[in-house]
Amino acid sequence: MDLKEKLTILADSAKYDASCSSSGSTRKSEKGMGATAFSGICHSFASDGRCISLLKILMTNICIFDCKYCLNRKSNTVKRALFTPEEVCEITLNFYRRNYIEGLFLSSGIIKSPDYTMELLLKTVILLRKKYHFGGYIHCKAIPGASERYLKELGKYVDRLSANVELSTENGLKLLAPNKKSKNVENIMHYVKENRNKKFVPAGQSTQMIIGATKESDYEIMNKSASMYQNYQLKRVFYSAYIGVNHDKLLPSLKEPPLKRENRLYQADWLLRYYHFKVSDLLSTKNPNFNILVDPKCDYALHHLEEYPKEVNTCSYLELLKVPGIGVTSAKRIIASRKVFTLTFEDLKKMGVVLKRAKYFITCNHQYLLNPSLCKKEFIEANLVLEEKKPIKKEYEQLRLFHE
Amino acid sequence: MNSVYIYQDTFLHLLNLIVYLIEHKIKPFQIKNTSYTGTLLDQVVTLDIPEKEEILSRIIETIGIRAFHTTYYVFLSDVENKELILYYFYLNGLKYKTNILNYRYLKCVDKVIKISQMVRNECHKYKGFVRFKELQNHILYAEIEPSSDCLRLLSNHFQKRLKNEYWIIKDVKRNILSLYDKKKYILVDADTLSFEVIASEEEKTIGELWKTFYKTIGIRERRNERCRMNFMPKKYWKYMLEVEEER
Repeated sequence: MDLKEKLTILADSAKYDASCSSSGSTRKSEKGMGATAFSGICHSFASDGRCISLLKILMTNICIFDCKYCLNRKSNTVKRALFTPEEVCEITLNFYRRNYIEGLFLSSGIIKSPDYTMELLLKTVILLRKKYHFGGYIHCKAIPGASERYLKELGKYVDRLSANVELSTENGLKLLAPNKKSKNVENIMHYVKENRNKKFVPAGQSTQMIIGATKESDYEIMNKSASMYQNYQLKRVFYSAYIGVNHDKLLPSLKEPPLKRENRLYQADWLLRYYHFKVSDLLSTKNPNFNILVDPKCDYALHHLEEYPKEVNTCSYLELLKVPGIGVTSAKRIIASRKVFTLTFEDLKKMGVVLKRAKYFITCNHQYLLNPSLCKKEFIEANLVLEEKKPIKKEYEQLRLFHE
Repeated sequence: MNSVYIYQDTFLHLLNLIVYLIEHKIKPFQIKNTSYTGTLLDQVVTLDIPEKEEILSRIIETIGIRAFHTTYYVFLSDVENKELILYYFYLNGLKYKTNILNYRYLKCVDKVIKISQMVRNECHKYKGFVRFKELQNHILYAEIEPSSDCLRLLSNHFQKRLKNEYWIIKDVKRNILSLYDKKKYILVDADTLSFEVIASEEEKTIGELWKTFYKTIGIRERRNERCRMNFMPKKYWKYMLEVEEER
């Protein structure tokens, strides 16, 4: 099998992993080639609009596990391939030299045993760093169930080390990934969290959950995310809309991947990490799923109209963050600018506030932009929903400029 | 007559001229670089002003380092009357000092912030979208056509990243080369150096591998042309081999 065919098979198998970020690290090679940029850099964008920052490949798609949703499960008859560590280095270095990529994202099916697989990954990473003095970004997947000594070694060479939880509940895992144990994944997260420092996994860890393969509600998923952010100091949780690649009676038959739902989860995830929202602000057992028609922040505002309007010239930073149409950047600009002059709606627009959404929830000098009698729930709801029906530009993006 | 003041093309000289104009309470109609040809109504004025570096610390002291950086990005842009915008920005800087960037309601401040963001954004995109190819003598070679003059910023970036390589980046639009010799880079007029661009033998194989990867990594069920275009507008496509067939 030639290198091109191997690359096709092993990139095709790796593409379902959503993470591709290359941020959070400031590495520099003393002797060789490569450096990382703290904010991360996207090198291309694929036909699905997702950014390509890293060479995202599997070491092998041979796997002893039989996870129902996975293309590479043991029981599938697909063409299998295995890279040698030297081959991975060759492609990585050649791509990096030409500025195609920011580094390597190496994952793998489980060949022979978790330890054996980790041995292969470790060998590759050590070759890159020690033989070739490669200073670019490396994100490596840790294989659940492998011995701790591999984590200890790998962590010294990679920027990011991660393990995917895949499904947010133990029941989901039992059903679809009988060989996987959530405890094994949590052990990895725990180990990385405890040992992380400037020289050990400097860019931190992330994880991924599949959305829509099992019956979990958004509430369960968000609670899982929140607990992981808290317990393991994850940098990111990625959500990946389930795409049916296998036929199995245990799997749902979806016509299309639930992309809109995935989008809502990302929006809510942002609210948790940067907007000081709690899961309980957004969802509850009675209201366990996000409104597909409006984004989670608008939804929150519509359910808490009594908290609005906020007066932009006097309200606190946290209050600004709760206004739909005001983001972290514009909130900071507002705080800085209103110290030196009194803001008008015109100024807000210049600062990047999306007035189309914000106008229902704010006043400038105690004046609404609209006739106040219009700022009633039904009217706002109708207009915000209309707003959403227009095509959304920046959907399924991978954030890049944002520091994680 | 409309007085158009001419500066000697460098950022430093522009700063010296602007400070001179402000100090002498001269309100320019326009400020332009030496390639300006003028119209019948213009009175083109070239003042003999020395290029003094001390002026930098004075400006930085007045408006702060962040605002100063922001103005440098504006200088790199290809916006028609950027010099005049900068003149008004520095003029207001005398009044509002290090708070100047917060006076968003001033037109010059708003423009300076927006233009600088545009330039930073383009430069950041190019850091990812530049494509080198290896020439027969193992030198890496890339061509770019940025709207703003970001060759120097890009060279700083690649100097750290590809420090063990010989590389050349050509700004096709401005006809300038950045030449790096494993130690430092220099910018030269492209006409002063002629060389043939013949790719090495390996180049085709690696390029094919990359194109294969690019095609494979996109998920068919998630196809989203609009999203791709948003992040990677067509203006960057010209030198990107992975979209060669779609151009």
